Amino acid sequence: MSQTIFEKSQAKQRAYSLPAEDPVFAAFSPPKDLCRATPLLLPEVSELDLTRHFSQLAHKNMSIDTHFYPLGSCTMKLNPRINEWAASLPEFTHCHPLAPNESVQGCLQIIYDFLEILCKISGMAAGTLVPNAGAQGEFTGIRMIADYHKKRGDHNRCEMLIPDSAHGTNPATAAMNGYKLISIRTDENGDMDLQQLEASLSKRTAGLMLTNPNTLGLFSPAILKISSLVHQSGGLLYYDGANLNPMLNLARPGDMGFDVMHINLHKTFSTPHGGGGPGAGPVLCSQQLEEFLPMPRVIKHGEEYRLQNHSKTSIGNIASFQGNFGICLRAYLYAKLHGHYGLRKIAEQSVLNANYLKNKLAPFFKVPFPQPCMHEFVLQADQYLSKGVRVLDIAKRLLDYGVHAPTIYFPLIIKECMLIEPTETESKATLDQFVRIIEVIVNEIETQPELVQNAPYTLTVSRLDEVKAARFPILKHTVDH
Amino acid sequence: MDYISNQEPQIQEMLQFLGITDVDALFADIPAQIKLARPTVDDGLSEYEGSKLIKSLAAKNTFSDYENYLGAGAYEHYIPALTGAICSKSEFLTSYTPYQPEASQGMLQIIFEFQSAICALTGMDVANASAYDGASACAEAVLIALRSHPERKKILMGASVHPNYQAVVEQYLAEHGIDIVKIPFGVSGELDFDALKSQLDAQTAAILIQSPNFFGNIENMKQVVALTKPFEALVIHCANPLSYGLFAPPGELGVDIAIGDCQPFGLALNYGGPYAGYVACKQALLRQLPGRIVGETVDKQGRRGFVLTLQAREQHIRREKATSNICTNQALAALASLIVMLWYGKEGLPQLALTNYQRAAYLKQQLEKISGIETTSGAIFNEFLVKFPHSAAHVQHYFRKHHIELGLAVDSFYPNLSNWFLVTVTETKSKMQLDRYVSVAKELSV
Repeated sequence: MSQTIFEKSQAKQRAYSLPAEDPVFAAFSPPKDLCRATPLLLPEVSELDLTRHFSQLAHKNMSIDTHFYPLGSCTMKLNPRINEWAASLPEFTHCHPLAPNESVQGCLQIIYDFLEILCKISGMAAGTLVPNAGAQGEFTGIRMIADYHKKRGDHNRCEMLIPDSAHGTNPATAAMNGYKLISIRTDENGDMDLQQLEASLSKRTAGLMLTNPNTLGLFSPAILKISSLVHQSGGLLYYDGANLNPMLNLARPGDMGFDVMHINLHKTFSTPHGGGGPGAGPVLCSQQLEEFLPMPRVIKHGEEYRLQNHSKTSIGNIASFQGNFGICLRAYLYAKLHGHYGLRKIAEQSVLNANYLKNKLAPFFKVPFPQPCMHEFVLQADQYLSKGVRVLDIAKRLLDYGVHAPTIYFPLIIKECMLIEPTETESKATLDQFVRIIEVIVNEIETQPELVQNAPYTLTVSRLDEVKAARFPILKHTVDH
Repeated sequence: MDYISNQEPQIQEMLQFLGITDVDALFADIPAQIKLARPTVDDGLSEYEGSKLIKSLAAKNTFSDYENYLGAGAYEHYIPALTGAICSKSEFLTSYTPYQPEASQGMLQIIFEFQSAICALTGMDVANASAYDGASACAEAVLIALRSHPERKKILMGASVHPNYQAVVEQYLAEHGIDIVKIPFGVSGELDFDALKSQLDAQTAAILIQSPNFFGNIENMKQVVALTKPFEALVIHCANPLSYGLFAPPGELGVDIAIGDCQPFGLALNYGGPYAGYVACKQALLRQLPGRIVGETVDKQGRRGFVLTLQAREQHIRREKATSNICTNQALAALASLIVMLWYGKEGLPQLALTNYQRAAYLKQQLEKISGIETTSGAIFNEFLVKFPHSAAHVQHYFRKHHIELGLAVDSFYPNLSNWFLVTVTETKSKMQLDRYVSVAKELSV
């Protein structure tokens, strides 16, 4: 039975130490009526218990370092340790966000230089590293689009067009900004339905949010037509950069006709996912949107860098300070190590790995889109429903064979699907091994489907009851628990 | 350099299997006019060259040469060595959002324990770790309030809430047609209760107060709650969570939503991030919480386990009807904060908070003895306002000559508070350092 750290508490045990008190300090105590009256119910644990507790928990988790992790749309590539070394240097970690410009020239130069690199990669004119996550980047970009229309006196643009294959953050972001969502169908080739797009564009169109390649792993061959149609209607194009990996130094969103975009540094630029965060979501934009970028911005005067905190046209602040500098620093080093040459190799190898794996797996599943994919691809497992096996079961069985499951049931428009993204850092041998595992599981489905239906068996827990968790929520440690 | 495993022999085998001679064949869908040529010159760096580059940039930062008294939402604290040792473990550093719970019990249990620790500290019923920082936690809390009072269109916000947090709240509400009314502060930096009374009405969805506020003062939250409750508006309490080691937590005060930034717990200053926002609230608001929530359940054998739960609130299920577009959970930052909360623990966290308080109170008292120096009255935690009888630029210059960054010149945020500094003291400042600060202040005032 897994115990929480709260249940491991033993009276008076402790890990902490504090500097010795000087007697003069003891004279100070805060007004009694403002003080905490109830005991602080944190556990009492020794440093050994703490160390062992978390070390044991680590063993109950799959990760990129320990397992193949082909989670579609998440770009689970190697997180190089040199990045962690860079981010741990005290010259960076000690810098206060409100430190005077002259004492943080290194930080400011990194922000400035990294934005130049990102502009070059994206084909955009300017940008910001402030957004703390991809979704906050989306929020920032859509706010900029809103202010662009407002500044032009174009007040009726209240609709945001979003394909039905989009990441859930796109419609959620549009709604947070007060936009009415117009959903665009995906056609039988996996591309946006151009007829519906044309019919949906009007003077009410604020913009189109698009991932390209999309969440089916397909590059839209009509992208130039799409961007020109949207622009003709007076709308702008937002590029969801979650799938930028196969485009690095190969095709730039700016050249495709996009006006503003974000990049997920924790995907394309290898910063650690950390169990779900923190990441970073820099936003890049065209010249005409630059004036709306959030504050603060870094500007260069001669050889000096400084923060600009105010601007009349900026959308304003979006974060406590200047964003996740520690994440941007890692990504900057990653970009510098690769150079434009290495970034192009990433794009090409991620696409080669994906197409190789897709074709190797094709005999076992339905392939809804036969054309070459980019960095990821969708397979359908609905043929196994007749055996009573769902794609969820296949995902759980994969865990038994030491592979993290792909993304499943996404995109929502493809029934019983898996979205598989091997990334460029995986070797052919790992991909071949994955294919062999799938072959074994498919055999199991044919011969003993209940084995797959009840997986996993080899982890610290078996299939967990998610319905119970939602119906009778236990969301924290309680004393009588 | 790159981190690509496959080399020419494997690449050739893969191309052959696909029946193509060049990977370029896979890019036929990309219009020729936008496809970039393959670079011919390798402009990358070796790892050694990269490390040299980073060292040269690090050397341009001189901030570490100064004794730092800056705070204002980001605090210099000692970070126990265990924090880095645990957070750098492969399984925590390089896993993702625990979509497959059976393969993610470590991270899920950590988030569950984080939720538990924040609830213990704040006295609230539920909590999570999905907000990016203190500012985004403020914005999300206000959005929770507006969802629970959909007919109300007014938010009250203390003018002494961190100005960047105020700006982010305004940013998130920009397209919501909400009236945001700022409640001014009095001469001592504390909330103007007459103004608050005059603004509270049946249209008010919530009031957002920071305590300790931006100026370091502890607000009378009991009175805020007492005034607000008759109007059924929600009270949102933003705080430096370390202050709850010493001062009454929101659960004791009748607050509805407690928010703040976990940065003081194990997260380095890092020139602004990554930090982690927490949002904690009463049970009744649970289904309005944005982001990931972890719950306890059982497996097929009845063994305890943890899963992401109540996901019907979230963007990947609800899309445009979700409570927020957030899909982050700040798990690694939450882990660092959890470790520090546990390392100090039941006895140590109040002790750490008291140490912070006493050192700040000592410095404040010593400065008050110097003629010409002004401070404000009112209870503080680890920050306070001080005004020198000189221009801010002169004072900063003088202290910097002594390698002290004396605090934040408040007029950068409040232009009418010129020559006031916000001074922050944590456990990292010894009595000797504080006395040196005082002697520099004395020299300056002579």
